[in-house]
Amino acid sequence: MNNNHLGNIKPALEAVNLTKRYEDGVLALDHVSFSIAPGELFALLGGNGAGKTTTINLFLGFLEPTEGEAIINGIVCHKEPLEAKKQIAFVSENVQLYSNFTAIQNLDFFAKLGGKKDYTKGDYRDVLLRVGLSADVHNKRLSGFSKGMRQKCGIAIAILKDAPVILLDEPTSGLDPKAGRDFIELIKSLRTENKAILMSTHDIFRAKEIADVVAIMDSGQIIMQQTAEEISGKNLEQIYMQYMAGGVFVSEVIGAANA
Amino acid sequence: MLKVIIEKEIRDLISSTKFIITFGACAFLIIVAFYVGTTRFNLNQAYYEASRAENIRSMEGMTDWNELESNRIFLAPTPLASLVSGVSNDIGRTAVVEGRGSIPIEDSRYNEDPIFAIFRFLDLEFIFKVLLSLFAILLGYDAISGEKERGTLRLAFANALPRQTYILGKLIGTFAALSISVLVAIAVGTLMMPMMGISLSGNDWIRLLLIIMAGLLYAGVFLTLSVFVSSLTNRSANSFLVLLVIWVFCIHIVPRVSVLMAARSVDVLSVDEIAFQQSGLRAQLLDEVSEGMENFKFAGANDDIDALSNQLNAHMDSLSNVRDSKMQSFSSRLYEERGNGQKTQERLAFALARISPATSLTLATSYLAGTSIGLKNRFQDEAKSYQEQYGSFLKEKTGSNTGGGLRIRQSTACTAAEDKENEDAKKEIPKGVDTKELPEFKYTDVTPTESVQAAVVDMGLLLFFNLIFFAGAFVAFGKYDVR
Repeated sequence: MNNNHLGNIKPALEAVNLTKRYEDGVLALDHVSFSIAPGELFALLGGNGAGKTTTINLFLGFLEPTEGEAIINGIVCHKEPLEAKKQIAFVSENVQLYSNFTAIQNLDFFAKLGGKKDYTKGDYRDVLLRVGLSADVHNKRLSGFSKGMRQKCGIAIAILKDAPVILLDEPTSGLDPKAGRDFIELIKSLRTENKAILMSTHDIFRAKEIADVVAIMDSGQIIMQQTAEEISGKNLEQIYMQYMAGGVFVSEVIGAANA
Repeated sequence: MLKVIIEKEIRDLISSTKFIITFGACAFLIIVAFYVGTTRFNLNQAYYEASRAENIRSMEGMTDWNELESNRIFLAPTPLASLVSGVSNDIGRTAVVEGRGSIPIEDSRYNEDPIFAIFRFLDLEFIFKVLLSLFAILLGYDAISGEKERGTLRLAFANALPRQTYILGKLIGTFAALSISVLVAIAVGTLMMPMMGISLSGNDWIRLLLIIMAGLLYAGVFLTLSVFVSSLTNRSANSFLVLLVIWVFCIHIVPRVSVLMAARSVDVLSVDEIAFQQSGLRAQLLDEVSEGMENFKFAGANDDIDALSNQLNAHMDSLSNVRDSKMQSFSSRLYEERGNGQKTQERLAFALARISPATSLTLATSYLAGTSIGLKNRFQDEAKSYQEQYGSFLKEKTGSNTGGGLRIRQSTACTAAEDKENEDAKKEIPKGVDTKELPEFKYTDVTPTESVQAAVVDMGLLLFFNLIFFAGAFVAFGKYDVR
């Protein structure tokens, strides 16, 4: 499958034949290739165990590929993990921060870890307001925060890092519809800042709504990858739901999606 | 970046409930240890003064140094011995010194108050040994695994954060939080001492600082160990369980088992056995003395009672000297044999027990406080050198170093003219002995340099354990799956 939809545009994030076989022999990723341009949102869809999180972990340098390369702005992640991570902001499925710290203290710590040492408390307040956390909670300990509030703090940390690439690992999973909607709006705003965004998700509706490119993963392979224009008007939801429900052969999925 | 991690670690720890609770308990007990130690020192000091006064008072009625059969000397209490008891409560505080012969040591605190022997005293060494180690474990057991469980590790390492920096920051930050809080509690405790009337000498301050340093090194061992174990597991519950088992072994099992193993491996002549052999020899020597007395032949005129008295005394002295010398050399040989056995046993027990850092803490602090296992021998040696002084004094005053005992007074054989003089003298009030003439016993404690020299092995071992576990944590975290 030709996964290069960028033409001559230099990708901000690139997977080249990315393969990962774990020590127990499980092949989690099997020659996966894709590219994401600056300002582009790439949604990686798939069920549990499809290989989405492994892909993200390879870009974060938490794993070394068995074969192939994860590249961020020309930096091969497993060769120069620290350099690569300077280019990445990451929001996980379940953002867990220090519960003894206030929202501002958490932001301060993670911003400094991200190499940003000149932010003021005013900057932290501004970004918290931007992600939708009202001023009355800025100095409250995280122990009292709901999951939606913590996810907002997570995206605030990603905004503060101001990295060219953002990795989102199922960021809306478990959020109520309102919180999920707010979160998607935030992500949309980041795309306008020319960030390359890789988002893994189960949620095809949100993926279709905001993604520039959607890829479906199964058993460590990308079985379908299409741009927003290609998907437009197709009954992707039905195909994906069939696929997610199981029993649908890869070829059928691809065929139906391309129909 | 290191500073950021250290600051975060300190802030995260001191705002956590577990820190507040464990620090509260630890600080409270450290202050209690100082209070108990200070109160006990004041009591022991009063007891010491009273015992000395009583000893002098008991001599007040004496008119002749010949009446003095023995003198009691006392081990003066020290403030540091109240903070680190060591063996000070196990050995006697009073030595009964005669002009010659063995010096029994009596009045051990545990002998007087057996209840303290059951539960032991709550001293600073105990608090350090039990609580500082637990405090360190509670701060470190989830240092890595807990961050992983909470998900903060993954987020932190999504940044350009070198692992070495992170683990170093963790260790420094946790150690700083622990040591600062412990030092605050110790400072409060130390301030209580002058407030309760105890002034520490310059040497005592040096020793106390070194004891605190040993305590912090010991806490550091358990902290680095905890972070190391935490870097080997993914679950803090597992890490805590492993550390708890290690803690129980280090504090309660290893030292006791080591002593048992050493006792089984090295035979030491028991005191009972020595007493049995001594009594055998004593019977034999008594026979020899009896024989010697029978062999006494008076060389002089039959009515020369003075000459008889002198010759008999000289003969008896010579027999006693021979008997004492034989007994002494025999006893010395047996005690030397026992002492050598004990030293071998002690060396083996300490070598085995030093697997546990708790042993090193106990040994280092007791060396520094002057309450180590050598205290009894030192007191005995000091008492022996005092015995020489005391013996010379008696000899000077009474003509013999035995004091009291079987001596025939020359006054029993006197001329009629002397009888008259004596009769006159009896009418005068007998003049008491001047107890101020009695040589004073002053226990000289080991110097700080000697203490440090003795403690350096164990301080070094504590440092070594720190470095080993630190290196372990470093290596383990280098391979840790931070996902």
